[in-house]
Amino acid sequence: MTPAILTLVVLGAYPLVFIALAAVTESSLGRPFQELVGTATVEDVLGDADVVASLVRGVVYAVLVALVSVVLGVTTAVALWRSVRAGSVTRTLLLLPMITPPVVVGILWKLVFNPSGGLVDTALRFVLPGADPVSVLSYPVLAFAGIALADVWEWTPLIVLLVFAALIGQDTEVGEAAALDGAHGFRLFSSITLPAIAGTIGAAFLIRLVLAFKVFDLVYIMTSGGPGQATTLPAYVIWQAALQQFDVGRAAVITLLLAAVVTIVTLPVVAITRRLHND
Amino acid sequence: MTASVWVVLSLLAALVPLAYLVSVSLMSQGQISAGSLVPTPPDWGNWTAALTETGLPRAVLNSVIGSLGGAVLTLVFALPAAWAMARHRTGGRSLAGLVLSPWLLPPIVAIVPLFTLLRVLSLNNTLVGLTVVYAFANTAVAIWLLEGFVRRLPVELDEAAQLDGAGEWRVLVSVVTPLLTPALVAVGVIVAVLNYNEFLFATFLTQGPDAQTVPVVLSLLLGERVQDFGKIAAASLIGVVPVFAAAVFLQRRLVTGLTAGAVK
Repeated sequence: MTPAILTLVVLGAYPLVFIALAAVTESSLGRPFQELVGTATVEDVLGDADVVASLVRGVVYAVLVALVSVVLGVTTAVALWRSVRAGSVTRTLLLLPMITPPVVVGILWKLVFNPSGGLVDTALRFVLPGADPVSVLSYPVLAFAGIALADVWEWTPLIVLLVFAALIGQDTEVGEAAALDGAHGFRLFSSITLPAIAGTIGAAFLIRLVLAFKVFDLVYIMTSGGPGQATTLPAYVIWQAALQQFDVGRAAVITLLLAAVVTIVTLPVVAITRRLHND
Repeated sequence: MTASVWVVLSLLAALVPLAYLVSVSLMSQGQISAGSLVPTPPDWGNWTAALTETGLPRAVLNSVIGSLGGAVLTLVFALPAAWAMARHRTGGRSLAGLVLSPWLLPPIVAIVPLFTLLRVLSLNNTLVGLTVVYAFANTAVAIWLLEGFVRRLPVELDEAAQLDGAGEWRVLVSVVTPLLTPALVAVGVIVAVLNYNEFLFATFLTQGPDAQTVPVVLSLLLGERVQDFGKIAAASLIGVVPVFAAAVFLQRRLVTGLTAGAVK
């Protein structure tokens, strides 16, 4: 099995080593590692207010999207589990957003938000006839929320799926015993069901957080980072540096900074999840 | 009661946007800007345009070949690794962490070494090149998902085969692989869907219609000077057919793959 493991180490380490080397050298897209520049790029990037702002924006976005997705996802999973009539057709239909290509998700929500005759615009005119056209993606806060909504729509099904599986997989005898002892409704749920699935919810939150930190396609398709920089999230900034400005060194540094930010944000979640799993 | 209401609401939330996409795909430009929700009469011109003017059929074929080819190669790489990690505890937790860590980051910078590698192999701008990239890109995720399944196989099976004189590779090929077929299909479906939906690598590594995949062709339609929303909607729906079909036919596999693998 040694060759398999060796391949793996190379596979895992290669991108990391490449990024680390590119971060301390002058590297363009065509010619990486031209000249050692030490920490010059790092200092340059840290001094760039736009990059720092995009990292902060990325944290706000990821935490917001992950929280909303988990709350909606857990609620839906519990509802599916409780509801007698929901069969496998319902579950398949609920999964569709998750397997829709992100580019199509972006197109879909761009059409929904289209100021001339999109779904939001049409619905608003129905409620308020004669209202001015609303261009959701042209206002900073609304554009940010619009992308977050598309992201929540796309990935909440994954949470539903993971939590639903945990609900089905839990030991039914404990619940039945508690019910015999008189536990009902919310009490039964909060003291028996919830602890049983808490570890899964933690893991799902973690996966969701990482997916939200990496969002790129939705920004590229829906807003190109605008208006202004309102939706310029970290992955988009890295893309701009690497493939628009051809500055791979800078892109590598931002990637490393993002790695540090992701680690800081996820570490407490990892610790809590591990505790919940062990309980 | 409240549970059923919530299920119905979540179904609406999931399906209304998709239904709106279908609706737009059947509208003329005038109907869209007039703010109609149901196209009367439906205009199939967008579907004809999407099929004949955009190079979409070829892109669907490219996507299907690239995603399935990539998924099969990924499984070939991932199974021995997942088995070795689960059985021999090779590398312990730190190896598992190292293998998965690139997944935590946006893959943009990884494009650069991959691009260089493909140029050396003169596979840049080819479907073969993209397939190879997909094979590597998802190996870590596949290992992570497969490891959960491998650990559930009783060790005694391996040991019995080894006592009968089978070497490690022999055990893997003749004992482990047949037993893991359902898991391999499940993980393969997940990886194939990830490949099919992938946009960033595809847009950077393919330039011509011979290699471009569905998401790339769709993004090019959005980049046209006059955006024809009806045609874009029709093209999106055509592009989605293969993944939705996979979901309907392989729903159970997809679900077991994600639930058994992702949360251990």
